[in-house]
Amino acid sequence: MNPNILALFQLCDSNLPTGAFSHSYGLETYIQEDQVHDQATFAKWLHVYLHEQLIYSDGLASHLVYEALEKEDFQTVWKFDRMLTVQSLPRETRDGTQRMGERMLSLVEALYDVPVLTEYRKRIKEKKSFGHSAIVFTIIGHHLGVPKSTTTLYYLYSVISSLIQNAVRAIPLGQTAGQKTIQQFQSELVTATAKIENLAEEDFGITSPGLELAQMKHERVNIRIFMS
Amino acid sequence: MENWTGTLRLDVEERQGKTVAKNVYFQGALKVMRPIYHDNSGQACYYILNPGGGYLDGDRYKLQFSLKEQAKLTLTTQSATKVYKTPNQHAYQETEFFLKKGSYLEYIPDPLIMYRDAQYVQKNVIRMEKGATLIYSDILTPGWSPDGDQFSYDRLRLLNEIYMDDELVVYDHIKVNPAEQDMQSIGFMEGYTHLGSMFVIGEQTNAELLDKLHHLMDQNEQDYKFGLSMLSVKGFSIRVLANKTQTIERIFSECHQLISEDWFNTKPAFLRKY
Repeated sequence: MNPNILALFQLCDSNLPTGAFSHSYGLETYIQEDQVHDQATFAKWLHVYLHEQLIYSDGLASHLVYEALEKEDFQTVWKFDRMLTVQSLPRETRDGTQRMGERMLSLVEALYDVPVLTEYRKRIKEKKSFGHSAIVFTIIGHHLGVPKSTTTLYYLYSVISSLIQNAVRAIPLGQTAGQKTIQQFQSELVTATAKIENLAEEDFGITSPGLELAQMKHERVNIRIFMS
Repeated sequence: MENWTGTLRLDVEERQGKTVAKNVYFQGALKVMRPIYHDNSGQACYYILNPGGGYLDGDRYKLQFSLKEQAKLTLTTQSATKVYKTPNQHAYQETEFFLKKGSYLEYIPDPLIMYRDAQYVQKNVIRMEKGATLIYSDILTPGWSPDGDQFSYDRLRLLNEIYMDDELVVYDHIKVNPAEQDMQSIGFMEGYTHLGSMFVIGEQTNAELLDKLHHLMDQNEQDYKFGLSMLSVKGFSIRVLANKTQTIERIFSECHQLISEDWFNTKPAFLRKY
């Protein structure tokens, strides 16, 4: 068994201080509009978010960036950093992922010595790149020798489990309901990872109108506990 | 594959305050009419025509527009883009725009109507220099079928890429696959039938303009809902979900008017369809 799996698992911990606890990716808009109010309505939203937005953005980027790292094709890594940023039309979501990406980068730089991370940092400083958690996470997964599909799966898990914890606080849901949702989504994440493996580069950035509109609307939601 | 059903190329430039064609070329099932000058601003307006009346199985269309420095151009279509059923091969349209510094483009095509069992891919690539201005909008309808069913088309992909000084700054990708997606569900169309998208890029963009646009759209948000957000460059995008083409047309036309007044102290021309 690859002991490095635990090392990558460290980055999935929702206590990892990247700021994921302050982003809802539009969920808060639906909570305010009372469209999401319990475990069932939340699971429905999360299902659509995972399968209609996350797999085509972060998920597919992780998959393709891992392949690029195997070939030492760094131009493709930087290309997806930009694509991830500009495909996100809602400002809060775009700025949020950028901030989280930078924070995760600073954190893992303290833990690992990987030249491509140093280059990433330099590019962000020179405003040639933006910063994104999916890219940082994938660089570490690849560095640790964790297989590609496991890296993608763990990344998706980290995003979804943070969102579930945020929903527990915001809706609110009971802790047990939160854990049930995490359990329910384990098989969904495996399905999502399998889907990503069958996507082509041309599928990148597909989004779903309602999700995106709610993410835009969040900017002007009255009571906010999240930054997106 | 360079086998096009229709191609169209139009290059415009500014000559003594008036935008005129430097080059017009079209072949097959695409053409433009002679330009119309709606006022004395020198801004040219061209109507794009599809003489075939609709896109058929395997049709491929290529359009290219270029605007030289200070050229001002309005582009629209004569009527809705209709995509009929495509049993074998999806219909495809690709449009490329080149905007030099100081040029101004309004591209306001009529709605897209997908017929039952239609498949369509549309790609717009806009390459602009910093200092150029863009106003773009599109409307996606639930399509048409003989028995009145909505979303009876097969599949659709709409792609918008905007580059500024050769860097990708907007990547907008919508895929609709009604058989596999629950169109009415949370996250999709959410009970609405029509989707409008608007992209505006211009150096004058500021938070105050977005506040004004938000206020304008927020006033009677009953039969639609909208989102509005700043891009990573000077510009913004708007999405509208509604139940009628006319609702989205009205909202976009009001937004367009507000932007024109705010930026140029002018009123956009009414685009009459024949």
